[in-house]
Amino acid sequence: MKKTGLLYDERYLRHDTGPNHPESPQRLKAIYQGIKEAGLLPKLTLIQARRADLKWIETIHSKNYIKRFEVACGSGNSTFDYPDNQICAETFETALLAVGGILDAVQLIMTDKLDNVFCAVRPPGHHAEYDKALGFCYFNNVAIAARYLQIEWGIQRVGIVDFDVHHGNGTQHLFEDDPTVFYYSIHQHPTFAFPGTGRVFETGDGEGVGTTRNYPVLPGQGDKEYQGLVERDLVPVLSAFSPEVILVSAGFDAHVDDDMSDINLSTQGYSRIMQRIAALAALYSDGRLISVLEGGYCLKRLPELAANHVNILLNA
Amino acid sequence: MFISKIMSRNAVTIDINADISQAREIMSENNFRHLPVVDDSNFLIGIVTDRDIRSVLPSSHITGDNGMEVLKRFSGIKIKDIMTKNPVALSPLDTLQDALILLQKERFGAFPVIDEQKKLIGIVSVRDLLREFINVLGLEEPGTLLCIIVENKLGQMKKIVDAITEEHVSFGSVLVSRYWEKGKRAVFPYLLTQNIAPVKRKLKKMGYTLLDPMDWYMDHLPQND
Ligand SMILES: [Zn+2]
Repeated sequence: MKKTGLLYDERYLRHDTGPNHPESPQRLKAIYQGIKEAGLLPKLTLIQARRADLKWIETIHSKNYIKRFEVACGSGNSTFDYPDNQICAETFETALLAVGGILDAVQLIMTDKLDNVFCAVRPPGHHAEYDKALGFCYFNNVAIAARYLQIEWGIQRVGIVDFDVHHGNGTQHLFEDDPTVFYYSIHQHPTFAFPGTGRVFETGDGEGVGTTRNYPVLPGQGDKEYQGLVERDLVPVLSAFSPEVILVSAGFDAHVDDDMSDINLSTQGYSRIMQRIAALAALYSDGRLISVLEGGYCLKRLPELAANHVNILLNA
Repeated sequence: MFISKIMSRNAVTIDINADISQAREIMSENNFRHLPVVDDSNFLIGIVTDRDIRSVLPSSHITGDNGMEVLKRFSGIKIKDIMTKNPVALSPLDTLQDALILLQKERFGAFPVIDEQKKLIGIVSVRDLLREFINVLGLEEPGTLLCIIVENKLGQMKKIVDAITEEHVSFGSVLVSRYWEKGKRAVFPYLLTQNIAPVKRKLKKMGYTLLDPMDWYMDHLPQND
């Protein structure tokens, strides 16, 4: 059995998005509950949140943006940049705690105290741009983790796999001219889903051409198509890149019961994808795999999805 | 949406007495495929395209040094011999819609833009028009597209707009399109939100049909020949 970490902290519930918002604290409770009820907690190393040093946030976001975000939360505003982005007085601190917890998890992995980790954090990150919040995201958690791995731990090649049903526009844009970070995203076709980016021909810029890969999936597709593209495309493409660490943007909103998308992945379908990614990490990254929660809004399905996800990490 | 706002103002032109090798050079230097032909006073007299040039050359495979030799032999051919005279031109006060319809009719890749005296003031290419059309569709803003089937009668749009506004969702754009069933229309609101589920639920509750995304677009529209 692997040494698997779980980053979870009740302070992540403090980011209050108001009534009827899909990105709710209940999501995280459901995830934690699912892992607990599956009897997995005793096998996991629990990691607590910690406030991130701003210098790491600044590797990805502009100082001006960070300040704007802090001021917006402190001023009693209820939204930031877009009406989708509901904030409260605690949102800025919660976002810092999410990043700090993830960086601690990275450290535990890089010092061989853990093999892999699931970071059940809020708010999510993959839509957040250099200087713009978008799609419930404020700090790009995964992007910051990638830079931290490179700067603090000397990692040369980071692979990011994003299976959230929405395209991670932020992560793509932040690394599209960077050949040292591979961004691979599977998502609902941008003509039919937010945010409207992530087309096949978006393959990177300048020196980074070839280390961005988008695989749009059509409405109504599910297990069969995902399975096929994972085997046919994701596995060979990531193998060729040979990442030293794999980061996963784990979004569970492609589930058939999640009404944020028209994609029909089953619970088993999700497991099969994650098993394949874990196998890739074993082959190329010495098992080093850091999975970070993005979307996933079906409170009924999140418990089983999270439990399976963690189980795969434990048995990777 | 006026052509004056979409066109390039510094159109690269060519003299009517220039020969085709000069035109070829200007085109490849600037990566243009259309050159308006003007006289000394900048009056538009014609347009010459890369296709016009290719059509008078013996082979389309003339490249490199050898290509220049071939070109020289044909350099006697003047622009005035191969240009399209009195080309279809736009006025600065024509609109994007005018240009799109004209484009479909005329099969040109670019239109010169002239003022009332027929003096050249710019050129607008298919690329320019597409860029503007992408802007009209709002594709560069993050959002989600829906397709709602409505009765083709007055007041339907208001209900939809009101319902969506009540969910605090703003519009990037709205397209209305013909639909295969008589008396109905397909409405495509492009909504600037990720949080689409409540909007969908609300519209369904109001009795609207949300079209399955895989049934969108052309497959059900009347076929065009
Ligand atoms: Zn998502």
